[in-house]
Amino acid sequence: MTDQPIIECRDLYKRFGNVRALEEVDLAVPPGITGLIGANGAGKTTLIRILLGLIRPTHGQASVFGTRVASDPAGLRARIGYMPEGSCLPADQTAADFVAYAAELAGIPIAEGRRRASETLFLVGLHEERFRYLGDFSTGMQQRVKLAQSIVHDPELVLLDEPASGLDPAGREQMLELIARFREFGMNVLFSSHLLDDIEQTCDWVVMLDDGRMIHSAPLDPPGEADSVSVEVFGDPQPLIAALAERGGGFTVEGAVINVEGAAGDVFALVRDALETSGSSVRRMGTRLSRLEDILVAAVKETDD
Amino acid sequence: MTETRTNGHDPAVIVDRGYRHYEGRRTGRRGAVRAIVREGFRRVLGLRRKAKHKLFPWILISIALAAVVMLVTITWVSSTAGNPAGADDQIPRYGGFFDFVSVVALVFAGYAGPQLLIPDRTRGVLNVYFSRPLTVQDYLLAKSGAYAAVILSFWLAPQLLLHLGYAALSSEGFLSYLGQNTDILWKVPLAALAYFTLHASLVFLISSFVNRVGGAAAAFLGGLFGLNLIALFFNEATSAPGARWTALLAFEQHPRYIRDWIFGFESSLIPAQAGFGPGTSLTVVIGLAAACAALIVWRYRRLT
Repeated sequence: MTDQPIIECRDLYKRFGNVRALEEVDLAVPPGITGLIGANGAGKTTLIRILLGLIRPTHGQASVFGTRVASDPAGLRARIGYMPEGSCLPADQTAADFVAYAAELAGIPIAEGRRRASETLFLVGLHEERFRYLGDFSTGMQQRVKLAQSIVHDPELVLLDEPASGLDPAGREQMLELIARFREFGMNVLFSSHLLDDIEQTCDWVVMLDDGRMIHSAPLDPPGEADSVSVEVFGDPQPLIAALAERGGGFTVEGAVINVEGAAGDVFALVRDALETSGSSVRRMGTRLSRLEDILVAAVKETDD
Repeated sequence: MTETRTNGHDPAVIVDRGYRHYEGRRTGRRGAVRAIVREGFRRVLGLRRKAKHKLFPWILISIALAAVVMLVTITWVSSTAGNPAGADDQIPRYGGFFDFVSVVALVFAGYAGPQLLIPDRTRGVLNVYFSRPLTVQDYLLAKSGAYAAVILSFWLAPQLLLHLGYAALSSEGFLSYLGQNTDILWKVPLAALAYFTLHASLVFLISSFVNRVGGAAAAFLGGLFGLNLIALFFNEATSAPGARWTALLAFEQHPRYIRDWIFGFESSLIPAQAGFGPGTSLTVVIGLAAACAALIVWRYRRLT
């Protein structure tokens, strides 16, 4: 990532009365798809709203595309798309009308807005349903319309606030696939979530917020082969531990869970062979922790220390 | 792109359209404001919406148009009985038409305002508006524009039909009647503007704070009639010092008093009875509009 950052924050601080929403956030986000992760109340939505120029920071400054947000918020918003977390759809309009209206609000002429609305709804998988009223849509369909309105005006940056919230697993998967496709459209994305898997699956870069502070901002390596496996067996784990020790695999034991790592070859093959030798029955097995979870736990621990 | 060939037929092609970038002209904030005005007009009239959204506004519009048909018919019947069109003082004409449909117009005003503001707020659509290159002022200005378009149409379209109807029945001839009554062309819009200004101020203020369309409409209508009653009580039933000033609270009467002033009518409305001139009513309407606008902007700034 040698490109200029698309988002920069310097010493960003925001208070709402006595509540500290953001504190000393220094940030430089490169082009691409960036995940903004943090627990509920970590300051994700506040950061997004500051980037949109909807609220002003108590002090510090935010820039998008090298322009200070405070200097030209409306001008920047013409280049940004935003999908809010909560409801934002009028029940009495059709999807086509609403998305075309959203395009017009961003300055696209009427006829072109209608054409783009149709294309964008096709892209998000709602072409057949585009003339149905939004009040009759399921949550998953509404999320897609929200996504469509955020990209209909060809923004350079899309801010997505919890885009997969409220979706069932299949809907979530489809939504993440759609967002991942924005990369091929040349769109930059800042995508907030409190779910590590969503970020891990979609993003090139990750920013972590905890209690208003930025605790991590770094590229997210592409997933490789699992180098650690977590396994839990029915009954006594000692035979399995002995079998693993015999094969030279490194492991740690946390209660009933054995975390196996540092194997020379395929760690899953090592565990399989050890299970066969020990005769233990598997209760649960999988990659030990997601890489992000490791990072998050470490970062929070470091901050707390 | 996926291509599938089936037994000797042309291949079926599934096209992934991808995403088309836009490099054309952008209309900016002006375009966005125009879009809000147009969409607001449609919303109030239920256009591009389900039939149930059309029902109420079009019933009210039909009543106003039916009143025109009724007045023109009465005038025609009266003229066939030997009274020249316009000579019968009992038949309301342009100034009087405002009173003739006043209740329907008030209900329409009370319905339209909340429709323009409340659903955007309660359904979270403001998030979409303000993620676009729009300011709070742009949004409120555009909504006021939509309200003006719909309310002034409600007043002016029936008046235009009335004017054409009277002209058609005129014994002096159609064009001659139009030529002799050019003052109507500024009097009616000016009076309608007074009604619009007062109604828009109050109904937008209420709609900025109330979250239910029906509740806001009820508060608007109840507030106007309630204040009228209070003003009437203090001006007619008491002789307390300073009671006459309560006449200024009869907000519903001020645009009517201004209308009387414009058309040169002798007014018997509450502010007139309390000894205030029409200039005072004009000041009240303008002052109220300014105060309401400031409160509404403050409210929306806090909301966003």
